[in-house]
Amino acid sequence: MEIVVCVKPVPEAETRLRVASDGKRLDVEAVKFVLAGYDESAVEQALLLKESVPGSAVTAVSYGPTPRTEEVLRAAIALGCDRAVWVEAAAGASDDPIDVARALAAAIRPLAHDLLLCGKQAGDDEAGLVAAALGELLGVPDFGYVTDLKWDAGRGRLTFRRSAETGVESWEAPLPCVIGLQQAWNDPRTAKLPAILKSRKAPIAKVTPPAVAAAGRSAAEKFELPPPRTGAKLIEYKTPDEAAQKLVRILREEAKVFP
Amino acid sequence: MPDFSLTPEQTSLRDMARKFARTEMAPHAAECDRTARFPEEIYRKAYELGLMNLNVPADYGGSGLGSLEQCLIVEELAYGCAGMTTSIIANCLALEPILLGGSDEQKQRILTPFCAEYQLASFALTEPSGGSDAAAMRTRARREGDEYILDGEKCFITNAPHASLYTVFATVDPDKKHRGISAFVVPRSAKGVVPGKDEEKMGHRASSTGTVRFESVRVPARDRLGADGDGFSLAMRTLDQTRTPIGALATGIAQAALDLAAAYSLKRETFGKPIAEHGAIQIKLANMAQAVHAARLLTWHAAWTIDQGRKGTLESSIAKCFASDAALHVADEAIQTFGGYGYMKEYPVEKLLRDAKLTQIYEGANEIQRTVIARELLRAYQ
Repeated sequence: MEIVVCVKPVPEAETRLRVASDGKRLDVEAVKFVLAGYDESAVEQALLLKESVPGSAVTAVSYGPTPRTEEVLRAAIALGCDRAVWVEAAAGASDDPIDVARALAAAIRPLAHDLLLCGKQAGDDEAGLVAAALGELLGVPDFGYVTDLKWDAGRGRLTFRRSAETGVESWEAPLPCVIGLQQAWNDPRTAKLPAILKSRKAPIAKVTPPAVAAAGRSAAEKFELPPPRTGAKLIEYKTPDEAAQKLVRILREEAKVFP
Repeated sequence: MPDFSLTPEQTSLRDMARKFARTEMAPHAAECDRTARFPEEIYRKAYELGLMNLNVPADYGGSGLGSLEQCLIVEELAYGCAGMTTSIIANCLALEPILLGGSDEQKQRILTPFCAEYQLASFALTEPSGGSDAAAMRTRARREGDEYILDGEKCFITNAPHASLYTVFATVDPDKKHRGISAFVVPRSAKGVVPGKDEEKMGHRASSTGTVRFESVRVPARDRLGADGDGFSLAMRTLDQTRTPIGALATGIAQAALDLAAAYSLKRETFGKPIAEHGAIQIKLANMAQAVHAARLLTWHAAWTIDQGRKGTLESSIAKCFASDAALHVADEAIQTFGGYGYMKEYPVEKLLRDAKLTQIYEGANEIQRTVIARELLRAYQ
């Protein structure tokens, strides 16, 4: 099985984000980028399938600028991906999800691809559009919010679950298709030290994405950080009864949680 | 001009160690400290990720890292838990004499199977009657045909109760003082190897420290490292290599103390404002930051010197001595920043002080480091 897994560099979860001086984007100057959490699950899934289906190979594909994109591809190789393709975005290129999907689709089309795995969304913009757009652009079905993916070799079908609003659905699908995976349900592995060293020397194929309109399809008008959280309120009390009375009064009169 | 930037390779090794320290080690640090539990499942995981036999070349199944890479990793691990780090890096210390003094045949025969699975090794130099004065060693090795008979006791040996392999220093001729010392590789399975009790310690409580007794243990001559009498020099050359990562370990403790103190100072309010806005605390934090930064740079410089193929005795002694003193000072100031809370076991800073203390003592007490520094220094004036 030829598996392609799409990965995205996103700011590390503990990063202190700052808005750039133009107010339209994040200032990523000092930001450390890592493999997105959802994509870690996708890579793990790709490796589990590779290990269970003889003769499989995993190619990691990422779209983005230097150096962060190369770094997440090397991280994917260190985890066990066989090959890596870097769709190199020029500095300041559009990051509109449809533009990204077009760039990825153009890079994936010439590759052997039985199965495309993605995180169901990215940990930074949370747009959740790329996986679905890839299905559309490549003309294959796509499924999001997926967990418990397995290959039924006898029947030549994938089986999986989808966490939907109404409950958990059980599905099966033929190849090729695009799967958008939930985060962290499969306990992603950690790269081993020798694999990290080896990944530094692994070749990475570079491709140029198709040209997009300079402005991109969409652009952020304004970027604002959420307002700082106001502090918690401490209730001072001498007895539990007094604490309960004060809490009920605050919930009723100040927070107006109930009349 | 020197270049202080790390290569992408070094950065990814550091990041990997950081992630391991913060997700696998730190969450268990307080519990292991409280109960003195030896978290073997964490050590096993560290082995599986390649974080254990850092200095052993890849040809023998280790990670084959240079001194600077080892230091980057050790600092991160120590940030998570210094005690666990001591146990994780004890193999580096125990195996270094084999790397430095072993023949190709010995390295292949001993290191390859050892590194192929999770195993612990101990460096058995210190004795109950003396640590720093290695030349006064009492453990005896008597030659008998193709074997040596080892008799004696070693103490304060990291991982001794759990080790499957010991590098043991013993004297073949006490009259020759340090020139009479030989080094041997002894498996735990050898008859007469008796690991003793696990010591109750002030800090590094996730690590295990114990005695090991050798009762007429027969060691084949082919397991002697180098020639008879080479042992003392081998031990010293080993410590030249492993002292620098102790500087890194101390730096990791100091960085953790600084981070905790700085974060706390922004949250804790007195006199109507965060204590970080009081000059007294700012001066404290500024001094702590200087100490951490200097400790790290001295450690990096010592590691760089060793990676250039030089002995680095002076540089590594300066780094270890300075960084360990800095760690104790910074941990102390972190407790002071926390005030009464800092003295409470419920808060994480008092552990750092207890952990920092050992770095002034082990792998050559700081008194010995200063003796070495003065000797090396004065040589330039004579």
